[in-house]
Amino acid sequence: MKITLAFLGLLAPVVPALAHHSFAAEYDSNKPVTISGTVSKVEWTNPHARFYIDVKDAGGKVTTWNFELASPNVLTRNGWRRNSLKEGDQVTVSGSMAKDGANLANARTVTLADGKKVFAGSANEGQ
Amino acid sequence: MKNFLGGAIAVLSAVAAFQLLGQAQQPTSPATGKDPALTPAQSTAPAGGSANADTKKGKGRGRGPARPQGPTPRLPDGHVDLSGVWNGGGPIGDVAQGLMQGETIEMTAEGKKIFESRESKDDPEANCLPTGIPRIAPYPWRIVQQANTHVFFLYEGNIHSFRQIFLNQSKHPDDPDPTWYGHSIGKWEGDTLVVDTIGFNDKFWFDFRGHPHSEQLHTIERYTRADLGTLENETTVIDPVMYAKPFKIKFTATLRPNEELMEYICQENQQDAQHLRGKAGLP
Repeated sequence: MKITLAFLGLLAPVVPALAHHSFAAEYDSNKPVTISGTVSKVEWTNPHARFYIDVKDAGGKVTTWNFELASPNVLTRNGWRRNSLKEGDQVTVSGSMAKDGANLANARTVTLADGKKVFAGSANEGQ
Repeated sequence: MKNFLGGAIAVLSAVAAFQLLGQAQQPTSPATGKDPALTPAQSTAPAGGSANADTKKGKGRGRGPARPQGPTPRLPDGHVDLSGVWNGGGPIGDVAQGLMQGETIEMTAEGKKIFESRESKDDPEANCLPTGIPRIAPYPWRIVQQANTHVFFLYEGNIHSFRQIFLNQSKHPDDPDPTWYGHSIGKWEGDTLVVDTIGFNDKFWFDFRGHPHSEQLHTIERYTRADLGTLENETTVIDPVMYAKPFKIKFTATLRPNEELMEYICQENQQDAQHLRGKAGLP
């Protein structure tokens, strides 16, 4: 498991689509996060599809990260399915961290172990 | 395990900030396989629900599917047929983006006090409550006309609900219970459906910024289907408790041919409101 919290200058901020809530009030587009790990759960539910990754640190402590996607409606209309990402998939996910410090992020890109990207074109849409 | 890469926290560029302020992306294209011309890459387009600048015919700021072209459809009785699946047609980020020429929003002291105190976590829409009127959610919605008795607005998202407009009633109840969509009576003025609504509760916001209203809110919406793909909505907002004078806004909805509404139960897995921070503002 690898986790990278990157606070890089001059990164192009993520400009999300509109959601049922304010993106800017929940996530900080200037705090990108990249996590590699195994998907432990997928929730294909409104108002947002979500997936979770368990990350184990050097001491063995497991932290669960919660990644928010667009709504299943948006994802479905963009051609994705409820099984496009499955429990047990190895993924690298990049996104924007929650402002409140929770282990929560909005997923911008989700890349499977074979390099295939899922939810492309909609992963950063907070709807 | 954690690698903190150094560097300064990026500051939003002026361009990005502008995009944030002015964005009006909408959820989707009907990329359901029914319309092979549409691809995921084309799936975002102006909602028509944010700024009038986004509502030009056939344009989607270069990103969305073209607005369908064709004459205004009519029913056998001659009335304009408003039915179809639409996107946009009301404010999303800021109701002021729809102000008609010469119009201004002047809040009363009470209105201003409420507006300035609002926090994003309290936005009813973020909490899976209805938009009310005139706000629109960034989801498709359908108009259904039932002869000369009712017009229904079916909302896919936020929340999965409906609004009913009575064409068969000539006046409002004397003392309606305050509700999220109020009591709406409609009548035709030529090719325009005029919808008069009172009886609102004071719980919904007009937009992400939190423009307020009271139970005295009275809206007059004028819906005109200018052509096949264009539904114009001019709304007069009257609320003497929160606004020193009425104001008029105009938003334009875009037809989504081949689109069908989907189930959207916002309450099922709402985890956002508890993480929202800061004052109410643009998305």
